[in-house]
Amino acid sequence: MSAVAQKAVSKFLEFIDADIAAYAESCVHCGECAEACHFYLATKDPKYTPTYKLFPLVKAYKRHKAPLSGLKKMLGLVPAEVTEDELREWEPLVYDACTMCGRCTLVCPMGIDIAGTIRKMREGFVAAGIVPEGLSVAAANAERTGSPMGVTLKALSAQIVRQEKETGIKIEIDKKGADYMAILSSMEIMGYPEIIGAYAKLFKQAGVSWTISSEAFEATNVGVQIGDGKMAKMLVQRIVDAAEKLKVKHVISPECGHAYGALRWAGPNMVGKEFSFKVVHIIELLDQLRREGRIPAGEKDGRRMTLHDPCQLIRRGGLLQEPRTLLDDSCSDFIEMEGAGIANLCCGGGGGVSANERARELQMAAFAQKLKQINDLGDIDAVVVPCANCRTVFEDGLDEFEVDLEVVGLGELVAETLASK
Amino acid sequence: MSFLQIVEGPLFYIAAAIFLIGAIWRVIGIIKIGHKRDLAPPKGSGKVGFVAGNLRHFLPRKIFAKRTWVHIIAGYSFHFGLFALLLFAAPHIDFARDRILGFDWPALPRWGFIIAAQFAFAGLIMLWVRRFSDPVMRLISDWDDHIGSWLTFLVMLTGCLALQESHNALKAIHMLFVDVWLIYFPFSRLMHAGTFFLSRGYTGATYGRKGMTL
Amino acid sequence: MMLHRLIAAIFFIALMLVSVTTINAQSVRPPGNAVNQSTDEQIGTSNTLGPDSQSKYWHDLRQGKSGLSTTGRSGGLLIQAQGEQWRLIRKNYIIKYSGWVLAAVLVILVLFFLIRGKIRLKGGRSGQTISRFSLPHRTAHWFMASIFIMLGLSGLILLLGRTALAPLIGKNVYSIFASAAMQGHNLFGPLFIVALVWMYYLFVPGNFFKMVDLKWILKGGGLIGGHASAGHYNFGEKVWFWAVAIVGLLISITGIILEFPWLSANLQLLQISTIVHAIGAVGLIAFALGHIYIGTIGMEGALDSMTTGDVDVNWAKEHHDLWYEEVTGEKSATHDQGETGHAQVYSQDKITGV
Ligand code: HEM
Ligand code: SF4
Ligand code: SF4
Repeated sequence: MSAVAQKAVSKFLEFIDADIAAYAESCVHCGECAEACHFYLATKDPKYTPTYKLFPLVKAYKRHKAPLSGLKKMLGLVPAEVTEDELREWEPLVYDACTMCGRCTLVCPMGIDIAGTIRKMREGFVAAGIVPEGLSVAAANAERTGSPMGVTLKALSAQIVRQEKETGIKIEIDKKGADYMAILSSMEIMGYPEIIGAYAKLFKQAGVSWTISSEAFEATNVGVQIGDGKMAKMLVQRIVDAAEKLKVKHVISPECGHAYGALRWAGPNMVGKEFSFKVVHIIELLDQLRREGRIPAGEKDGRRMTLHDPCQLIRRGGLLQEPRTLLDDSCSDFIEMEGAGIANLCCGGGGGVSANERARELQMAAFAQKLKQINDLGDIDAVVVPCANCRTVFEDGLDEFEVDLEVVGLGELVAETLASK
Repeated sequence: MSFLQIVEGPLFYIAAAIFLIGAIWRVIGIIKIGHKRDLAPPKGSGKVGFVAGNLRHFLPRKIFAKRTWVHIIAGYSFHFGLFALLLFAAPHIDFARDRILGFDWPALPRWGFIIAAQFAFAGLIMLWVRRFSDPVMRLISDWDDHIGSWLTFLVMLTGCLALQESHNALKAIHMLFVDVWLIYFPFSRLMHAGTFFLSRGYTGATYGRKGMTL
Repeated sequence: MMLHRLIAAIFFIALMLVSVTTINAQSVRPPGNAVNQSTDEQIGTSNTLGPDSQSKYWHDLRQGKSGLSTTGRSGGLLIQAQGEQWRLIRKNYIIKYSGWVLAAVLVILVLFFLIRGKIRLKGGRSGQTISRFSLPHRTAHWFMASIFIMLGLSGLILLLGRTALAPLIGKNVYSIFASAAMQGHNLFGPLFIVALVWMYYLFVPGNFFKMVDLKWILKGGGLIGGHASAGHYNFGEKVWFWAVAIVGLLISITGIILEFPWLSANLQLLQISTIVHAIGAVGLIAFALGHIYIGTIGMEGALDSMTTGDVDVNWAKEHHDLWYEEVTGEKSATHDQGETGHAQVYSQDKITGV
């Protein structure tokens, strides 16, 4: 086995816990999962069958780690060693063709978590140095600035100043002892800075004390997307340090799917200790404030709207009801797409796929599925997309297909429809 | 010792022992790999999720079932038919009483047996033909899948061909396939019957801790 | 479209039920084996046959137990004269000729293969495909095929075994084969009806005869050279479809009568049924041999449609040009020489509705 393959295989084996072992053992090769994956649906190419994407990992498991594999090896019944060529062949499947959306798990009769397994599998690819170009650039940026788009503090400060002017509300940076520390995704800072103003407005009304750290303001965790455990840990650590330094009680995860999972569920495990603060998602927080009557709803938006369910928040994050309650308050003409909720289709750009230039064509094909789902609703004025990454994917895709449809964030919508004091 | 006596005597006991030990070994082996402790504060219960995950995945979701109903019907038809045959066929009950357990339970009447067999065969045949007539299935299937299906098919077929119960040769052939099937089981993907609860359960537990809706 | 198929399928099932029930309407009797038997002195272990196992009958008979040799309906009749005719027809015609028919078909196929060879794609494979059969279509087809093969094999053992097999393997071994074949045949028989209805429902659209079929016949189906236009199915396929549907229906009806003989007291009906059943089955098997030949080694690219659901664009143009045009809205190369399809070939929706 080549040294490169060896590295990947040892990482695979290191990451195979009882969960993944059970998955590798139980997959009955029934092919149901293909019917859930937007990449298969868009192309009808069998290689995009979710379970197929795991083949190298399963091979390594069956050869080296499965119970009874020793006995089978003596009889020559284990699969061959994974080769470097195979890894190179699978690399586009693992990086371009999986958004780690978890939809396939819903249809799988064995409940196999393909998304989580792909995430672990990517660790092996990183270890072997077999990763797509686009993602390495994002990783290098993150290494340097903490942000995949290379967003600097200067850029953030400029946006904050602009939002302060717009709303007339002062936003305090590095305020020690604040209850909440907000982090943002690069996409938000660069593309949708209104969200900062929206936070200011909402929290002022609710009387929430909050701040933004100058040392850790970036929420996107490229390490998790690309499968680089060391970097993922470093990025989480940065947030933990800042939060501890400012002694905040909560960190607010922004409207960004993967960032939430990375910090809320994977974070403590990466840094190896429980956090001294709680991680809340902005939607969770807004829902709570709404229920407490601290941000009462005002006049509703009359546009005909539908909601896209970002996979990491809804299917894999468990925030199914919250965005819907908020929307019911903010929007008078809200309708659901077919399959809305936990079985909703992915936008096609999560899990680092949208940052991966090579995957663009495939990503657009997948987005076309999403678009069809929306078009099936008939006339829609706007789609609410509570994830900054999905949002850029939407805007990009709508542009590509020349469709006129407005894309709005949930936070902004709630801020806009707030009852005026 | 006649051929029949061998296949339902010593060979059967050896096969059954391999089956039991192998299957248990494998399930325990998986569990023993273990997990790291999850440090993220849970939103719900992992244990409840384990059970919920197991139950939830029995039920197809409408949005997918619209496309995969043939497969779902075939799968359920096969498995229910098979369990009915395995547990409630009169000769099986007699065999279990006389050779293993010492007690028995009510058997299916003959027409019930035939109908269960027909469901099992219809389902298994549909599952298997799908394996070679769909590009996805062709890509992901391997020898193990085909051998498992065929062995199971042959066990069922030889059993049903012996239905007249007048020829020891037919019975012996059935028992021979049963023995082979038992030996093959723990080393193969047929083991899914013993591991499915783990894979559904582990995913369910993760979902449960995250407070996710199933 | 949907409605028409539904009606067709219902009609089909109804026909089958009606024919079975009218034939037997006057003769619904308790099952033949519902004889008063003393259950207290059961012999042997219980089994799937319940207390009425056939081996037990024989056991009892040999012991000279009384009350067993007549089982109800044909009680008073000692000899039915037509029985001898039936026996002769079966022996002198059906058994004798069916073997020869099947052998002849095989010989013809071999000769055809040697002379004509595999029918190749003139333009080779284009590498582009269009979809032809949906997964339910393929599943239904192979489901039917599997059941058919098992019934065919077991049926032939029952029909020809005593003449062709028994002398080879000896009567004792043959009796084992016969017992197995009978049980298998009875078990899979009802599944054939399920397969038939399912397949009929899915495949009937597009299988009605049209004017192009006449032209196709005149051109000899293109088998002898030249091009014969065809839609989704060509004339030969349509005939095969209707042979399966109609002969299959006959076999199903007679099969039900034979599998549940207590449904009728009319011995003659049973005799006619065995004859119709056997002739129909042998005919279908002969036809099936041809079908299997053309679907596998006989024609390049034909099997794809049933293994992947898609066929090569060139195959579609050469063998089903009208269908190709209908699906893609593009002239096929057979009309417009030279040009191969670069056009949109993924018009799945249109096709899977077949
Ligand atoms: C209750 C536990 C079981 C569950 C949840 C389960 C589930 C499944 C599923 C989802 C499939 C895939 C069907 C497909 O291939 O499309 C399958 C296939 C199969 N199962 Fe099970 N199974 C169970 C128990 C068993 C048992 C006890 C046997 C032993 C005879 C068995 C024998 C098979 C075979 C032979 C196949 C392969 C059919 C094929 O070719 O696809 N299963 N099972
Ligand atoms: S997680 Fe999503 S993208 Fe990945 S294989 Fe499953 S369905 Fe496809
Ligand atoms: S649906 Fe699940 S069991 Fe079936 S092939 Fe996919 S991963 Fe394997």
